[in-house]
Amino acid sequence: MISSKQLISENNEKRKLLNKENEKYYGDLLLYIRLQMRLSEQQSEELLMELLDHLIEGQSEGKTAQQIFGDNPKKYADEIISELPNERPGHIFSFIAYLAFNLISWLLIIRGAVTFVFSFFKHVDETVYIVKSGLSTILFIVSIGAIIWYLFFLVRKTLFNERSSKRKDAIKAGWLVQDFSLSIF
Amino acid sequence: MSVRSQLLKGVLDGCVLSIIEKETVYGYELSKKLQEAGLDDVSEGTIYPVLLRLQKNGYIRGDMRPSESGPNRKYYSLTDEGRAALNELAVEWERIAEPVTSLMKRGNKND
Repeated sequence: MISSKQLISENNEKRKLLNKENEKYYGDLLLYIRLQMRLSEQQSEELLMELLDHLIEGQSEGKTAQQIFGDNPKKYADEIISELPNERPGHIFSFIAYLAFNLISWLLIIRGAVTFVFSFFKHVDETVYIVKSGLSTILFIVSIGAIIWYLFFLVRKTLFNERSSKRKDAIKAGWLVQDFSLSIF
Repeated sequence: MSVRSQLLKGVLDGCVLSIIEKETVYGYELSKKLQEAGLDDVSEGTIYPVLLRLQKNGYIRGDMRPSESGPNRKYYSLTDEGRAALNELAVEWERIAEPVTSLMKRGNKND
């Protein structure tokens, strides 16, 4: 089996073969499907690769993405999403836990460094209040989660619009950077 | 949705299974074979939701492997369950198609 990471990097390479219109159509389809975090990553990436291969072959015969996948990309994507299997719950949980603990460890490192520097200039109270710190950490994690959810929501809203705008491209670019950094882990 | 595409929706699964029964195919090949069979107005992309559904039901299996021309492709083959489902579908289809065809035959209404 080819891993989803391999498929993602292969997909990035192959997408360069598309012409501008087909790239736009397919790119929106790809983001829209990848943003569905509950779907099996492996199955989603395999399907995205199939669609891309199909589009590239079609393009060489002079067909457009509209002719192959229909005039309504959102409807088509929703149809696909409703048939794709979900990710295993354990996988989703460990992924979220991984991100959360990563965040907490960075938080502690920064806090430790700041406390260390400050302790040269004035006395720092180093007592840890379990409940208070616990609550603020949970609040922090939840708000980060909410921000990510909101960003996803924004990107999803910008997809499949006829007009392309600077704002939209900026948001997409931000997402792609994140996508890239996720695939490094 | 046109009458034609509504009618097709119900039988497309059977058409796809029939093609896969004869030989393992990948997506693009499958759409080509549907077109060659005369279903040339089926939008090519519609096969992918169908393939996903048939996989979910366990009727077909998709394996990604290198193709003769090089790149990896996902080849679909029929499972035993799929063969059984297709047999049932074919029988049911005949039981519908024959009476419907004779009922809808135009031109000899005064028989």
